[in-house]
Parts: sequence; C-alpha cells; structure tokens
Amino acid sequence: MLTRGTLIYISQRLVLIVFTVLAVSSAVFLGIHRLPGDALFNEHLHGVEYQNILHHYGLDLPLWQQYTNFLSGMFLHGDLGEPFVNRGVKIAPLVLREATVSAEVGLFALLFTVGLGMLLGVVAAVRQNTWVDYVLSTTSVIGYSMPSFVIATFLLLFFAIWLDNVTQGGFYFQIGWTGTYGTIGEIWLPAFALGFPYASIVARLTRASMLEVIRQDYIRTARAKGLRETVIMVRHALRNALIPVITILGPLVIGIITGGVIIENIFGIPGLGKEFATSILNRDYNIVIGVFTMYAALIGIANLGVDLLYVVIDPRIRY
Amino acid sequence: MTPTSFRFLKALCVGVSALMVVAACGNNPTTTSTNLAADQTLRFPLLDDFGTLDPAIADAETDQEISQNMFNGVVKFDNNLNVVPDIASKMPVVSSDNLTYTFSLRHDVTFSNGDKVTSKDVLYSWNRAAAMSGAYGTSYGTNLAAIVGYGTASSNKAVGAALEKLLEANDPSVVMSGLTAPDDYTVKVQLAFPAGWFLSAISLTGSTGQLVDVNAVKQDFDNWWTNPATAIGTGPYKMTSRVPKASVDFASVSNWWGSPKPTITKVHLDIINDASTAITKYEQGGYDIYGYGGYSNAPVADVLRIQGTPSEKSQLLIHAKVRTTWLSFNMVSDNKRLAKGPFTLDGGQSAHDLRLAFALAIDKKKLATVVCSDVVCEAATGGLITKGLIGYLGDGADPLGAYDPAKAKSLLTGADPTGSKTKGLTYVYDPSNPLNKPTAEFLQSQWKDNLGVSVELQAVSHSAFIKSRLKGDYVLSRDGWQADYNHPQDWFDNLWGSALGCPDSSCTTGYHTQAYDDLVKKADQETGDAALADYKKLSQMLIDDVVYIPLFYSRGSFLFKPYVKGAGTNNFVDYPWAGIQILSH
Repeated sequence: MLTRGTLIYISQRLVLIVFTVLAVSSAVFLGIHRLPGDALFNEHLHGVEYQNILHHYGLDLPLWQQYTNFLSGMFLHGDLGEPFVNRGVKIAPLVLREATVSAEVGLFALLFTVGLGMLLGVVAAVRQNTWVDYVLSTTSVIGYSMPSFVIATFLLLFFAIWLDNVTQGGFYFQIGWTGTYGTIGEIWLPAFALGFPYASIVARLTRASMLEVIRQDYIRTARAKGLRETVIMVRHALRNALIPVITILGPLVIGIITGGVIIENIFGIPGLGKEFATSILNRDYNIVIGVFTMYAALIGIANLGVDLLYVVIDPRIRY
Repeated sequence: MTPTSFRFLKALCVGVSALMVVAACGNNPTTTSTNLAADQTLRFPLLDDFGTLDPAIADAETDQEISQNMFNGVVKFDNNLNVVPDIASKMPVVSSDNLTYTFSLRHDVTFSNGDKVTSKDVLYSWNRAAAMSGAYGTSYGTNLAAIVGYGTASSNKAVGAALEKLLEANDPSVVMSGLTAPDDYTVKVQLAFPAGWFLSAISLTGSTGQLVDVNAVKQDFDNWWTNPATAIGTGPYKMTSRVPKASVDFASVSNWWGSPKPTITKVHLDIINDASTAITKYEQGGYDIYGYGGYSNAPVADVLRIQGTPSEKSQLLIHAKVRTTWLSFNMVSDNKRLAKGPFTLDGGQSAHDLRLAFALAIDKKKLATVVCSDVVCEAATGGLITKGLIGYLGDGADPLGAYDPAKAKSLLTGADPTGSKTKGLTYVYDPSNPLNKPTAEFLQSQWKDNLGVSVELQAVSHSAFIKSRLKGDYVLSRDGWQADYNHPQDWFDNLWGSALGCPDSSCTTGYHTQAYDDLVKKADQETGDAALADYKKLSQMLIDDVVYIPLFYSRGSFLFKPYVKGAGTNNFVDYPWAGIQILSH
C-alpha cells in the first residue's frame, strides 16, 4: 500500500504541516503581543517589580528579538518556553501531554461519530419510511441542530445530577477525571457529547448514500445470486456508501478537535482544550502560542490521516 | 437487513449503553460517625494550577494556600490571625528602639528530608528571597525591605545557579548585612528603620519569610519545588507527585516536629477550571471540600442553589475574606495623568461635594443584594479595611458608606448647578471579575435615579485596566485591594501618598497630601495601639477628603462534607490540612 508515490505524498504533506505550524505560531506570536494587557501586571506586581519580571522573561526586548528567540527555541531546541502564570513548567511536554489527552477524547468521539453515525444511517436506510427511519432521522436532526456544549449540559444534568439524586448516590456519572488519562467510565459521556452532533451528520449522509447504493444494479444482482442480506449490506452496499462519509471526515475531525475546547472545560478534562481557554484568559503568551502550535500540528496530521484513508477505502485512489 | 438482525442490533445497543452507564457510576454513601475513616485522603479541586511553591517568589493566593502546608517561618499567623511563634521557640525580643529583633529557634525542627533547621537556614532563605526580589521581579520581596542591606541584596541581577553560588559564598552583594546568626539557634535582625508591620510581613503565609533547604534548592535553583524529590520544606506535608495543570498529590511527613500531628495522610488535588463542574463533583462525592486553595469565589447561582437544598445547606460556609471593592476618583490634574474630571483636589469644596454626592447616591446595601444576592459580598459600611481585620472601623462607621439620596442631590445641585461638570463622565471597570459588570450597571442606575447624572460604562481587560488605572487614566474607576496580611499598613502606604509614587507613578487617584504622607510614615514606624490609632486617623483622612466610595467586602463560599472535621477558614487562608480529620462515613 505504501507505494513510492504515497511516501512522496506523505513527505510533501509533512513539509506543508511544518510550514503551517510555523505560519500559525508566528501569526499567534505577533497577534497576541498586540493584545492589551499581559499575564504579569496586577495590583500587587507593578512599578519596578513589574519591570524586573519583564526583564526576567525577556519581555522587555524588542519584538523582533523576542520573535527570533522564540523561533530558535522552537526549531533548534523544541522548546516553547515556560508559562508566566505557572512557573517551572516546560510548555512543549505540557502541551504534548495535553494533546494526547485531547486525542484520547477525540478518538472516542470519532468512534461515536463514525460507529454510531453509520449504524443509525444504515438502519434508517434499510428501514426506510418506517417508524424506525422517522425516529432515527428526527434524532439526527436534533443532533446536528444542537451544539455539543448544549448536549453536554443536558447529558450532565441527566447522568451526573438527576441520576445521582434519583438513585441517592447509587448510580451516576462521576464528573472529572481521576488520572491524567480517562478510563472508559470517565470518557464515554464527554466523547458522546462531542461526537453526537457529528454522528448525526454521518447518519444522514450514510442514509442518503446507502439509499442510493442499494438501488444499484449490482445490489440487485447480489440479491439474485442468493447472497445473505447482511453480506450484501456490509460487503457491497456499505463499503461503497462509505466514500462520501470519508470525504467529510476531514472537516468532522477538525470539528471534533476544536469542539474539545468547550467539552473539556465542561467535563473538567485536563486536555489541550482546557489549556486553550485558560491560557487566553490568563494572557499567558508562551502557552497560548504553544497551544495554537499544537492545534495546528494536530489538525494537519489528522487531515493527512483522513486523506490516507481514501487509499484504504477506495482502491481507485492513488497518490 | 432482516428483522432478526435488527432486533439483535437494538439489543446490543441497549446492552452497551447500560454497561457504559453502570461502568461510569459510582457510589456515594452519606452516613457519618465520630470514628476516623480508614482512608485519610483529603480531596479537593483547584480551579487553576499554582504558579509556584517557591516561597521566595510565590505571590498568588493559591501558591500561599498550598505552600502553608509545606513550609514554615519563624513566626506565623494562627487561625485567629494573631502572630505567634512558628519555628521560633517564643516571640522575638525587640529592642526598645524597635530596630533589633532577636529570634530564638526551636531545636527540634527538621526539613522533610531530615535536615536539621538552624539559624543558617533562616539567613539563607531570607537572603535568597531578598536577592531574588530584584532579578526575578517578585511581589513580596519587600516584606523584608526593612532589614538593613535589603537594598543591596535586592538590586543584584544574578539568577539561577550564579545566584546560588553567591548565596553559598555569603557574597556581600546578595547578603543583607542586618541579618546575623550569633549561634545555631538565634537569629538577629537589624532593621534600617522602625517597622511596626515587620512581624506581620514575615508571617505572611507561604511567602518570603518561609524557610527553604539549601541542600534541596541548590539541585535546581529555579525549579527545585517542581520535583517531589527536592520539594523540601519544614511543613507537615510534602509533595509526592505532580502532573502540571492536571493533579498534584501530597503526603504527610512522618514524625513531623510540629503540632497538631497530621491525621490526613494524603491530599489529592485536581485542577478543574470550571467552578460549577468542581461543585458538581463535590456534590457527587468526588471531593471532600470545595473552596480550599484560594478558590472560594463560587458562582452565585451555585451558592444560592446549595442554600436552597436542605441536605446540603449545612455544608456551606460563607466567610468574610480580605478584599474591599471601592470606587476611585481621579483627584489630581497634571500633565502626566490623562484623566482630569470634576473631582480633583484643586476643585476645592465644590469638587469635594461632588465626590460626596456621588458616594451618598449609592445604596450599598441594595448593591450587595442586587450584585451579590447578599451571599458573596456584603455592603462596605465600616471603612476601607475589610470587616474582621485590624483597623476595621466598625459596622456603619464610614459615612461614605451611607445612603442619603436627598443630601446627595442637594450637594450636586450646589456643586454643579448647570450639570456641566458631570456631563460626559465614564466609569471604567474590568469585567474579569463577574461582580464588576453588574456593579458598574448598578452604579450607573443609582447615579441616574438619584442624581439625574448619566455616566457611561467602559469595560477594559484586567491587566490593561490596572495599567491604565495606575497611570491615572480614569476619572471614575473600579478599585479595590486584597490584603496580604493582617496589618493596617498594608492598606495605606501602598495605595495613596507620595511614598507610593503619587501623584504620577503607580497611583490610581493621585491622592497625596503632606499630612497624609507624614502620618503614614509615623504609623508605619509605630507598634500596637499607637499605630492602630494613627491608621484609623488615616482612614478618617481618606473619608474626610472623600477619596473613595466604599462598595462591598468580599466573602468566600466553602463546602465541607459532614464527615470532614477541622476544616475551615479565617479571613485570609484555609485552616491547615494538619488539623483536618476524615470521620468514617
């Protein structure tokens, strides 16, 4: 599968990702320094002490010098510096760890998106114009009409609060994570909240695609050959119906990655999304740049992964 | 798909969903008893990671709340905010001229790694804090500013390992000459000038007066506190693990020298940014406490909901904290200050009456009801200094805290009969604190209703706001102060007067008079009742000149499970972990 052409394609994309990361981090670096206020000035730290701390962090240097220091740190040493608010923490390993936490949530959300979405889409298509189809289609409409944070709020109200009250603390969803990475019990609800709106989109797309495919001559031929319905659906219909789904997987993955910003804050998940929000609110330049840089890399790599999936799903596609 | 396979799929979905719900569910027993629980683990959330646990540079409330359990000073504030001996065996002997403090240290104090604490550790820790205050830009280095030689030490620019070398060599450039150790257990402090606030300043929790272990610090001068192996202090708890921005764990130090001996053996902190999420987890039984670690500013809606829930109401503690919010006027008009306005001192009696009119037109009690639901703040009627602290004037003692719309209108009419002076005013605030916007809107409506004056509102992001405010850019602005320690000095010489830099440097109002400057200087040098009397005179001076409009005193909201014994708070900090017990439940 990994032909020379594919390897060249991957290499080109990786180079493109590096340039994208550079462009994003530079834009953020320059942009954030134009924002009013900073992380260090406050009622207790001003005057001479403030000037001293600016000097300590090199923030009293001309902007171009700060920028070259930043670039050399990032590219020569893989060092994104330290946060101003939380001292003694190296940003590069921090955001890398947080990115893996977000990736964990994102992957589970993607499982919901693709698995649940396709399941609902196939069932709705197979049971077209029955009550099952109507229920699933309505659910899909509700799903993609509601932003993930609204869904998350409802889910929390039901699973974390209502269920806790009704069962007198017997059964409920325990909010927050107990470790750095989540367990299945901790991750399923945020992943569902994050993935469900996109699952609804996949469901509608799969249903439409399946309805088109199952009317094709080759499906009729398969039935005439006496193949079992399950085999026809999974091997012949679904595989062909998947291509449009894969096409929108790229934007969906980006949606899931960026959607994590809100979901991680609501569920108290120590990922990149949570960092994104707090670092901006804290005006913590270094960490904001680190987070954006990591997001740019994540989105670039996710898009590359989706593009490579085409090759797996559709043998006609070659790079 | 056949009907059979569809039914199978349906059953599979239901089954998987049920399994996930069961897997995700926990157990939350609620009964209590007076016996200690087998598991003495205390769990509570922080809404952000701490900034540093290095006492030399720590300046955030969270840093201090956490590190008070890891470090000690020679003296400390007890739970009732009195200065008492900590690693000192008794209160210091103070010379008659108030310039020399002699501390005798306990002989049984050790760091958590077993190193014995001697007077050399006090010298090292305080010199290090003084030396770092310049090069690192710290907020609380000046707590040591009264010691002879502070100026020299704090002006050095060495950092990291270079500074460590200088400290270990007792290099004169980083050593305060007023700090000496006649023997292993005596520390003598020579002050450059009498400072009645000195003991309070070095008692500040988790800050520059706390002791660090040279053997731990020299392993990584800047980041020794981040590594559990070198995060060594004299306190009853030591860090055992830390995942930055996610969680941190502590364990009690076995055979700790102090008292009470810790019952809680482990402390687990999660960093959860959303207060409501953290409260929900507390309610589910995921935490034993909410509000510890400097995060007692719970959302009003959550506090009201809990107050209305019979089973949870008794777990809620609302306690006065140490922040006063007031409104500041621009009181000086000069070329360096952007703001002018009608309230400046050179406007004489007319400007004074205008300031008083704006003050009396605000119903502070209604403000606390509207903005804080009478929960997270209370009306500021007892002066600048927050209720419960030394220097508080008493309920209703501040005439600027009164509400008298008729007098306000009369004063306005006399001072500004045509309305030209009060036309086009703008009140500037920072919306980072959720109370500031509703406060601004309330003020606007009160001035409109009671004075007929239209004031525009302008929101500016926090640090930009503080920067501009301290430069004198605003005619009317949100102001306030969160006290560092329980001493009135912390409310006067750093907020008004020439010593601060007024009128043109780091001064919101620009206010400075010779009488104020002289009295601040005198009060700062005095101790006891004499000092208190003069600080109260300073309060009166600010009242007479209508320098501020008092608005509200902040309160903290805490939640404690019924099985948590010994937890609580004073106005400044949480009660230490060492005094807490988990009862069986």
